[in-house]
Amino acid sequence: MATKKSRKKANAEIVGFCCNYTVSVEPSVLKERGLVPENIEFKRLPCTGRLEVPAILDAFAEGAKAVFVAGCKIDECHNLSGSKRAAKRVQYARKILEELGLEPERLEMVFVPRGESEPIVEAARELKMRLSTMEGQS
Amino acid sequence: MYCPRPIADVYNERLDITRATHIDFPQAIPTSYYIDPKACLRVNYQTCNLCAQTCTAGAIDFSQKPKNLKLKVGSVILAPGFGRVSHDVLEKFGYGRYPDVVTSYEFERLTCASGPTEGHLIRPSDHTTPKKIAFLQCIGSRDVTCDNGYCSSVCCMYAIKEASVAKEHEPDLDISLFFMDVRTQGKGFDAARKRAEEKYGFNVIRARVPKIDQIDSQLALTWTTDDGQSHSDLFDMVVLSVGLDAPEDAHAIADIAGIELNSYDFCKTSHGAPLSTTKKGVYVAGAFQGPKDIPESVTQASGVAAIASELLKEGRGTQTVTITYPEEDKALEEEEPRIGVFVCHCGVNIAGVVDVKAVRDYAASLPNVAYYEDTLYSCSQDALKAIAEKVKENRLNRVVIAACSPRTHEPLFQETLRSIGLNPALFEMANIRDQCAWVHAQEPEEATQKSKDLVRMAVAKARLLEPLAQPTVDVTPKALVLGGGAAGMTVALSIADQGFETILVEKSKELGGNLRKLTWTVDGQDARKILKDLIKKVEKHPKIDIMLEAELESTSGYVGNFTSTVSKGGKTEMVNHGVLVIATGGEEHKPKGYCYGESRQVVTQLELEQKIAKGKSAFKTTKNVVMIQCVGSRGEDLQHCSRLCCTQAVKNALKIKELKPETNVYIFYRDMRTYGFAEDLYREARQKGVIFLRYTPDQKPEVVKQGRGIKVNAYDRLLGEDISIPANLVVLSTGIAPGENENLSKLLKVPLTQEGFFLEAHAKLRPVEVAVDGIYLCGLAHGPKGLEEAVSQAKAAAAKAAIPLVKGKVAVEPIVSHIDKATCIGCGICATLCPFNAIQMVKDGKRKKAETITASCKGCGICASHCPVLAINMGGFTDEEIFAQIHAFSPEGCGEELEAEKK
Repeated sequence: MATKKSRKKANAEIVGFCCNYTVSVEPSVLKERGLVPENIEFKRLPCTGRLEVPAILDAFAEGAKAVFVAGCKIDECHNLSGSKRAAKRVQYARKILEELGLEPERLEMVFVPRGESEPIVEAARELKMRLSTMEGQS
Repeated sequence: MYCPRPIADVYNERLDITRATHIDFPQAIPTSYYIDPKACLRVNYQTCNLCAQTCTAGAIDFSQKPKNLKLKVGSVILAPGFGRVSHDVLEKFGYGRYPDVVTSYEFERLTCASGPTEGHLIRPSDHTTPKKIAFLQCIGSRDVTCDNGYCSSVCCMYAIKEASVAKEHEPDLDISLFFMDVRTQGKGFDAARKRAEEKYGFNVIRARVPKIDQIDSQLALTWTTDDGQSHSDLFDMVVLSVGLDAPEDAHAIADIAGIELNSYDFCKTSHGAPLSTTKKGVYVAGAFQGPKDIPESVTQASGVAAIASELLKEGRGTQTVTITYPEEDKALEEEEPRIGVFVCHCGVNIAGVVDVKAVRDYAASLPNVAYYEDTLYSCSQDALKAIAEKVKENRLNRVVIAACSPRTHEPLFQETLRSIGLNPALFEMANIRDQCAWVHAQEPEEATQKSKDLVRMAVAKARLLEPLAQPTVDVTPKALVLGGGAAGMTVALSIADQGFETILVEKSKELGGNLRKLTWTVDGQDARKILKDLIKKVEKHPKIDIMLEAELESTSGYVGNFTSTVSKGGKTEMVNHGVLVIATGGEEHKPKGYCYGESRQVVTQLELEQKIAKGKSAFKTTKNVVMIQCVGSRGEDLQHCSRLCCTQAVKNALKIKELKPETNVYIFYRDMRTYGFAEDLYREARQKGVIFLRYTPDQKPEVVKQGRGIKVNAYDRLLGEDISIPANLVVLSTGIAPGENENLSKLLKVPLTQEGFFLEAHAKLRPVEVAVDGIYLCGLAHGPKGLEEAVSQAKAAAAKAAIPLVKGKVAVEPIVSHIDKATCIGCGICATLCPFNAIQMVKDGKRKKAETITASCKGCGICASHCPVLAINMGGFTDEEIFAQIHAFSPEGCGEELEAEKK
């Protein structure tokens, strides 16, 4: 399905789906200051519970090498069960990745205290590291 | 020093460590050590006792117990100040979690030269210098979530001050300030803010930052501006401009004193009587009455003193202790000069740059120097005592202190001389702090050399110093009050109640002034009733003489002995009085433009108020009311902010909503300056649907006539487009213009500010006095202010004016001009130039000669510098003394003189 649709060539190496309550600082500022790796794209969602599996797979189809989903802490979710749902879907998407022959480590779910940007920045860096070690091995 | 118990230095906001036995700061009064009982090992664990054993004076006595004292007093004054905003509020902004989020108190200490970092601005986390700082305003103020709905009134200005100080330390700093409204409504504050913004290039952002985030030890802020745009940026340091809270023990104070508190736990008062609590005899001053800045606090402090003085006039003088000075040791003064030189370290203020010990040793080589020493803080109490002892011990008869500015410290040192029987004029200061350590902070060697030069010059002058007489003159126990408005009447009443005859001079036909035009006060009281009561009291008072339709024509004399002529109905009357109070008021500014005067539908706030007073019928056909703030103020016709128009507009908007709730009220503003508790009214107005629209000076709203009606065209910043509001009524907040002060200013020789208001002697410390002794100032003549502040100020002026009246005698400045009659040619140049009317021409035989009225002379020296025949000498600054000082500037000059003397 993904191959049939004409997709714009995405440059982002890492895509981060962030819930509205987790990232407060403008991503452009984070990039400008070099706080996050280049080639990263933040996609802001009203709630990570809204995130469907195809959207995650689409990100890979568009050229992302790794994806993370940042939701509220399980018991602090603004929409009660949003991040719980997201975690389940991420789990499912990892299985699909595996079936497709991709390493499931390329997809990660992180739980972040509300309104704090540092854990997200760290997640992005961690994923970047993971990518480079993976590329080193292959 | 021996105390083994380290504790956090609370004075330095816990940024430093001190001992359980400590002095908070070197200039503390009294400067004696005290023991923190919570930390002391002896008090808590019965161990240690080191200090008591080592104290050679045996001054530490652990057997002392707290005692209950019973005092019989006639009046109680509450001045407990303000409390701190609670930690919970600060924690919302990451305080305590992120080390580089600091409070404004901490920032103040960090930028202070005698603070924990000696003024080096550092980040608490890693001790590096920050490059980018953000100031967040309204922390714990204007915030109903922490029950502090009021505005703290002072934070906008202090943030600008702190930012300026930081910028002086680190010129490359990038500073952003986040305001909701910029509330710099104090006298001269707007101008100071503008200057600072231009000079330091602050980034002024109008937004409230909801929270702080930290990434890689940088602080991330996200905010939304009023155009709906979201922004983020990273900073090295964030300063929380913390508001003023009610004192923590407000309830305990209220219970003890039996007074009521307001809803924010500040003392409950009313606008007509701002210094009175709900209990008779108990009065309040300062921030406990409501958040306020230094000038207002100092004013209120004097104000309550007046009230207490009214109440207790029967007992006046019954418990006073008089300072007696020893007889002057004339014989010692006449001996060959024996000079003592004391060089001050001023902590690190001077010693950090100047080599104080080298300067001290250098002083030893100067002629007539009999004693020399260096001191850590010369102005501290024990140092003063030590200086006095040394002077006595060594029979010194001239003293030179090389320290800070004589402007602030000379009187202190002179007092010390007096206390040991030396004439205060036998004293000279060299300002090696300001003129050496501060301005040459980067060149320590040169600074030391210059200090030596200054000390040498001071010594040269000190050798020629002569004692000066310190005469006193009697005071006419009567006051003249100019202006019969709220302020003038309050002053007259208070002075009269303190027991002195008062003449109240009013220009118009009736008393009342601007208060006559008000219908109710901001706190909802009937303004007309306040006025009526006030007039009744003034008219009935046996000690007040009211002169209506009268004006001051001329004044001569000096503090304690003024003679004025007042014209009344074509006749003039001579009045003798000891003091004079200016309470001549101001007037509502009449603006140009905005169709004012062209359309009956365009009115000022005061005109609106009279319309509202007529009741609902006046608004029968009114659907839309548009108010425009800062018409004429803040840079149009008037440069200043008129302080009260925002509150007045909100008050009137609420009245309209009360009369006819379906009326649409729009208020165009630049900054809503509803400071203090008036913020409640602002919030209420928003809740009741008054629409507030901000405009900038480059996009002012326009009032246009359209057929028979009018409309207001403006740019709506929230919508991002031009809007047009058809209005039934346009109300202009026009601010307060000074009255015709120029004549009076010339008559009394009291200077005006640039805006045309009278200038006080010191903005913060002497807010109701002017440069001329015996003349006091209050009300709108001083600057725009509301009724509450005018009344406080009037009381303050009454307190200050009563001082010479009570004393019955005034001391005359010893530094006065002295005219040598034999040399004087009677040209009169000095008399015309004297800014204080202190020189009169007196017939001396056939010719007129100039004569100094010593009581009026302020010692400025203008006369001496202009006298064509050098007949005028200034006490303490004679030509010989000055020349000696100048000669000493060149080291050779000093040497030559020495040699000449030897020959």
